[in-house]
Amino acid sequence: MDELTKLKQELKNLNAEYAKIKDIPAEKRGEFGRELNAKKMALLDKIMKAEEAQFDAEVKPLDITAPCAPNEPLPELYSTLMGSRHPLMVELDRVIEIYKLMGFTAVESRQLDDEYHMFDSLNFAKEHPARDGYDTFRTEEGFIPPAHTSTMQNRVLNRFKHKLDEGKEIAVVVPGRVYRNEDVDATHEHTFYQCEGVYVSPDCNMGQMLGILREFFEKYYGQKLNIRTQPGYFPFTEPSLEFMIEKPKSLGGKKGDFLEMLGCGMIHPNVLKMAGIDPQKYHGFAWGGGIDRLVMLRYGLKDVRHFEAANLNFLRNFK
Amino acid sequence: MKISLNWIKKYVDVSVTDDELVRLIGARLVEVEGVIDEAEKYNNIYIVEVTSAEKIPDTHLTLCQINVGKKETVQVVCGAPNVREGMLAAWIAPGAIVPASIHEDTPFVIGKRKMLNKYESNGMLAGADELDFGDDHSGIVEIEPGTAKPGDLLKDVFELDDKILEIENKSLTHRPDCFGIIGFSREVAGILGESFNYEYQDTTLRLGGELKVAILNTNICERYTAVVLQKHGEIKKKYLSWMDTILSKSGMKPISPIVDVTNYLMLLTGQPLHAFDYDKFVKVGGKMEPEINVRLARDKEKIVLLDDTEVILNENDIVICSGEKPVALAGAMGGKSTMIDENTRNIIIESATFSLYNLRKTQMAHGIFSEAITRFTKGQPPYQCLKVAEAAAEMLKDGYIVTAAVDSRKKIEKPIEVKISVNEINALLGTFYEKKLIVKTLTNVGFKVENSGDALKVIAPLWRTDIHIKEDIIEEVGRLLGYDNIQPILPLHSTADSDEMLSMKTKVRDIMASFGANEVLTYSFVSGKLLEKAGLNLKQSYRIINSISPELQYIRQSIVPSLLDKAYMNQKLPVDKFAVFEINKTYTKKNTVDQEGVPFEDMKMGFVLAERKGQGTAYYKAKLYAEKLLEALNLRVDFLPLSGESAAISAERLPFEPRRSALVSICGLDSDKPGEVIGVVGEFKNSVRRNFKLGDYLAGFELDFAKIVEHYQPTKKVDIRPVEDKRDLTIETDKSYNELLKEIKKVLEKNNLEAEIYPLAIYQPETIKHISVHLEFKEKINDTLMQELEKIK
Repeated sequence: MDELTKLKQELKNLNAEYAKIKDIPAEKRGEFGRELNAKKMALLDKIMKAEEAQFDAEVKPLDITAPCAPNEPLPELYSTLMGSRHPLMVELDRVIEIYKLMGFTAVESRQLDDEYHMFDSLNFAKEHPARDGYDTFRTEEGFIPPAHTSTMQNRVLNRFKHKLDEGKEIAVVVPGRVYRNEDVDATHEHTFYQCEGVYVSPDCNMGQMLGILREFFEKYYGQKLNIRTQPGYFPFTEPSLEFMIEKPKSLGGKKGDFLEMLGCGMIHPNVLKMAGIDPQKYHGFAWGGGIDRLVMLRYGLKDVRHFEAANLNFLRNFK
Repeated sequence: MKISLNWIKKYVDVSVTDDELVRLIGARLVEVEGVIDEAEKYNNIYIVEVTSAEKIPDTHLTLCQINVGKKETVQVVCGAPNVREGMLAAWIAPGAIVPASIHEDTPFVIGKRKMLNKYESNGMLAGADELDFGDDHSGIVEIEPGTAKPGDLLKDVFELDDKILEIENKSLTHRPDCFGIIGFSREVAGILGESFNYEYQDTTLRLGGELKVAILNTNICERYTAVVLQKHGEIKKKYLSWMDTILSKSGMKPISPIVDVTNYLMLLTGQPLHAFDYDKFVKVGGKMEPEINVRLARDKEKIVLLDDTEVILNENDIVICSGEKPVALAGAMGGKSTMIDENTRNIIIESATFSLYNLRKTQMAHGIFSEAITRFTKGQPPYQCLKVAEAAAEMLKDGYIVTAAVDSRKKIEKPIEVKISVNEINALLGTFYEKKLIVKTLTNVGFKVENSGDALKVIAPLWRTDIHIKEDIIEEVGRLLGYDNIQPILPLHSTADSDEMLSMKTKVRDIMASFGANEVLTYSFVSGKLLEKAGLNLKQSYRIINSISPELQYIRQSIVPSLLDKAYMNQKLPVDKFAVFEINKTYTKKNTVDQEGVPFEDMKMGFVLAERKGQGTAYYKAKLYAEKLLEALNLRVDFLPLSGESAAISAERLPFEPRRSALVSICGLDSDKPGEVIGVVGEFKNSVRRNFKLGDYLAGFELDFAKIVEHYQPTKKVDIRPVEDKRDLTIETDKSYNELLKEIKKVLEKNNLEAEIYPLAIYQPETIKHISVHLEFKEKINDTLMQELEKIK
């Protein structure tokens, strides 16, 4: 008798048990019923698994080393014309490429991190209202799918601080996927991409930060750009700024049309200190901005939901 | 937050245009989300005198003649009970828009009407609600005699030609002082390079009288001040006032004289006030005199608030008690039991600060987002509590006298001092500002600066609780003088290191696209259902406790299940055939945590191909994709049998059918010895296919991307000798393809020969299998070799 037949017989027997309920004293019937139900649920689960196993067993083995099955033609790859690369990834590559040309090492961001990297090491005071502003997800263990690529700041500072001793600078960009607990609509996604920049040297200043950012966007859009700033507030930079560029002509921009591109600022001395870098000797600046919007602007896309939908009618347009 | 430019201009001499001012505020203080231009809102609305008012018999209407500042009077019918001869009123002339309707789709335009078929009525005499000054509809507004004359424009008298700034509150989280007009105006003065002076009048308030305050827990209330006001006369709200208009423009509305004063002072100073009915307060406490106790609430303690909602408190909430009984949820909302009403005689005005941390939790727990709690949760400083309480008493002095005042505070705060040099400021900003300019910029906004040579001692004003370190001072200077005035320059620095993982992703993306495959991105968060459909173990996935929906509850352990899900969606579109791939990170609890204490992460590449009408065995196409991709990266691989299920099996293998899948293994140098396994390729279990509603022609692979990077060979040895001989070979065999290749290679080796071997076909008419291959040699071979090869069985 095979496993499945045996289990089905067991179920039959169990179902017969239910008839006994009338012989049980009324006060114990509840307990009796519950036990029986639990047994039945467990058995049904086993039967389902056994059925699945039997179903899965109906397959013929293959010669896994062969190039094809007997009497079948050799398989072929699909036509190159069908292929496509994800526009977000292509754009992220361009961003990284430009920063690389400017001397920035790229390190990809983590997708699951902890409170220390996401907040503590970034000078967020415990219970500070700013923590709420990030709408972070948390796992049962307290891990955090990061809400910003700044979660990597402490790590890259630690990893590259030897360069300072060698008389060089820390110049790193951190692209990566981040998450916020937000309702999804045409302009909001709970999953999106950011790129962080971190720069530390003995004598760096805000003029250099603005210079690097302007240079990046001018390279990216292939034209001279006007830039503008606005005071901002982030616990991990002081002073903090929002950085804007005048909308490039290639995107149909008019004079005086400014686009907010990223947040930036001089790295807070506490952030340097927590990474073991002496803020008396070194200064730094950092920035972070979204990638999704760059892509939407470039291709004139109106709906951010395209990116994670894996809809081939959309994606096959991007060769 | 809404801020009236006209209100700012009462405190600052603005020497630039409004547009420029708005731009400067945006560039140097805070994000301005929008500007509401009210220039047109009160067009053609005049102050008029009612010269005669006759009741129309048997109606509630009054027939009025009004003096509009011209020779001829105008006739208008008015339904308000308070219209009377001799009063000054506001008249909306025919053709003008009713201000309250200006933002509606079709603004309401007043015309010339016939009332009751015989009385001509031109325009209308307006009530407060029609003018957009609150909800009062009980009568028409009355203008105080002597303040205006008939024919004056309403907007000239009340400064209504205004621009309202809409401020993004989040960007002022650290600046509680800017949540009051005084603080905001001080910044505007600083931005314009002007000094700003606002002094509270010297206090005449004498502390003492019958009022006790006790703060019963530490760290919940830094300072609690209150005044008791005894009624001695009537404040009759009679005339439309400038305060009514400014409350409305700031997003609030006039309610009653006492509430209006508390709201007005909050908007002015940033310090929220609360008014209790004194007599109710005493009665609730059950004593002869008021006894205010500030304490943490007890768990499950209840209070009914002003808006009639009953709130169940928790141990984080701060409550104001009369004796034992809570009468207000501190910082958030007053209680019903002590609320002021039209019968209120005596009042207590509270001016205090509370722990912003507690209040933030209160705000979230009970969903209260009042103007007051918005200010408290930014951390209002305690320095001005008593002065604002006194200002309230002063504003209400026509009706009330102070009978008691109390000031309970934990400590007197000391001003913060920061030592910094002019050079440090310029070095971090990249500027060349002179000391004189820096000192003036800081003193304009209330800092005191003592200096000797290059060194500065900067003393922060009491309202700047956000100032602690040098960088805070540098921010003040950089911001007030304009970050846009900093010259962008490029630093000279060293070269970048390469990142192999990112470069490999780019490379693989390009190769796969050239193979006709489509790169996709899917969420890192998946449903428990999806994991189960693919045969994965839920318990190995990290679970999000505050997920948006059950669909996004688990962090994925592998990529392929997400691709299977999207394969179904794409087949439905319909896309008939496709190969999709994604390179992304995965996490599983089995991998535990690294030395930093965070979960180990894997970079995986998932691949799934599916055809709706596909013929043949999908496995071989997926295998071809894996083989060709790895070949392009100079990696040779073997396909090894997938052993049966075991508990230790890694997540990515679980959906694959062991009899129709293989492990992908990097070839070791010694061809008989298997190298490192880097992934799995194959068809899926019947149950998995059924669960995802996918057809027969379906296969895929999942590879460990880090291992690809690790084994990747940027170059390979090439044999540039030309091909000298080509032969085709067909062998009847029951061996597997790989075993047969090994036999062929053995024969070649014996003859000291090497050949590239390409498959041609596998033909199996009945039971016997014929395998045909094509051989290419870099030297001439003889027929005896071929005869020897043909002998292989």
